[in-house]
Amino acid sequence: MKEFTLDCMGEACPLPLMKTEKQMEKMEVGDVVIVQIDHSCAMKNVPEWARNQGYNVEIDEVDDGEWEVIIEKTK
Amino acid sequence: MSEEIKTIQRSSSRAPKKPKKSQIPYGLALLIVMVIVGILLTMKSVTLGLLWLFGSSFGFVLQKSRFCFTASLRDPFISGSTSITKAVLIAFAIGTVGFTAIKYGYFVNGLPIPGMNYVVPFGPTTIIGGILFGIGMVIAGGCASGTLMRIGEGFVQQMLALVFFIIGSLIGAYHFGFWKINFISHSPKVFLPDYFGWFGAVALQLLIILCLYIAADKWQKKKIGA
Amino acid sequence: MKSFWDKLGKNEYYVALFKNPLTYVGGAILLAILQIALLASTGNPWGVSGTFANWGAWIYEALGGSVDKWFYFSSEGAQNTLNNGFLNDPGTMSNLGIIFGALLSALLASQFKFKKIKAMRQVVAAVLGGLLMGYGARMAFGCNIGAFFSGIISLSLSGWVFGASLLIGAFIGGKLLTRFFMG
Repeated sequence: MKEFTLDCMGEACPLPLMKTEKQMEKMEVGDVVIVQIDHSCAMKNVPEWARNQGYNVEIDEVDDGEWEVIIEKTK
Repeated sequence: MSEEIKTIQRSSSRAPKKPKKSQIPYGLALLIVMVIVGILLTMKSVTLGLLWLFGSSFGFVLQKSRFCFTASLRDPFISGSTSITKAVLIAFAIGTVGFTAIKYGYFVNGLPIPGMNYVVPFGPTTIIGGILFGIGMVIAGGCASGTLMRIGEGFVQQMLALVFFIIGSLIGAYHFGFWKINFISHSPKVFLPDYFGWFGAVALQLLIILCLYIAADKWQKKKIGA
Repeated sequence: MKSFWDKLGKNEYYVALFKNPLTYVGGAILLAILQIALLASTGNPWGVSGTFANWGAWIYEALGGSVDKWFYFSSEGAQNTLNNGFLNDPGTMSNLGIIFGALLSALLASQFKFKKIKAMRQVVAAVLGGLLMGYGARMAFGCNIGAFFSGIISLSLSGWVFGASLLIGAFIGGKLLTRFFMG
């Protein structure tokens, strides 16, 4: 069960989502990725995409305008 | 949509939480300034005050809901998601009904219909312009309203995009005469009620919006399965 | 004093109203209502990009240029707007309002942050994207708001034609984004 960190700070829409998708493809079931974002669109569209895929998602606001989206690849 | 989400195991410790500073006092200070600006503008002209109020409201709602027209047209291709697309269609449906009601009220009383200079000729220039704008908004990371919204959120990239949006607009204005003579003056203007009647136009447009909504829903189900 | 703001920020009603994001549908409903109220009270729908052309003209004139012979600015309305200056321009107030309204929303949610440019590709994206949007909007009489949102709800067929073209452009833009701007 590996854990990855994806730094998407400063990226414009829709790069955080695109990078997350690519990262998830490389991961195995049980792996976890922590996507670091500071884009308000991404704190909505990344979790939404992940939930639609059926993964476990958690969002953590770590600072003013900064979030970590934690996704577990469950299938 | 409730589900049992077990806390995800993390081997690394969470990012050391910097003590978060509340920005609410700055927000309230800004609010007071904005109200004062609104009052000063209204003293000059009611229209100025109203547009300031509406602009602020649009900006607030856009940021609050993370609404993005760019995403509505781009996400179906990039991630298969059409949730914003469907929301935009809902905005269109409600707007259509409201706008038509207002316009019809003026029409039926023999008064000039408001907002008619937004009914514009369409033709090759509309298509080329739309394609150029569509490419630009996806690359830049925001459309016209989105660019302004993101400047308010602190994105320096959008501040740069605005500068070139302005330059592009000026060049476009400079060339506009050329486009007008060669294309726009031969292009038709179609105000749907002129062709389908008031009720027919609204019914037709709402029907099209409904069909697009269903299509968007099916698209997402096909691309993502949810 | 500091903890007062922190406590306020955690209050359940405050969080529900000002901190949590609104749903897309909620935003859509509000935007439509605002559009309707705008048309009703001012006689015109929402527009954004037309003002950018005026801003460009004012800056150009401040640098010594003149747009007086341009067809685009030849109408009486356009000349009046230019002569009255940006402090008297409703479109300017609307656009500035969007910026500050968004800023207000972010601050009240304690989510404002400066996001600096960190790669050359972002500069290229902003320059190229901005130019394309500015030019395209003038050709089509407006942007995603004036020509698309306002155009369609004003029952103008141009809105739909523009929308379909936006979709094509967005598709192409998406491909370019994946190829060149991902980093």
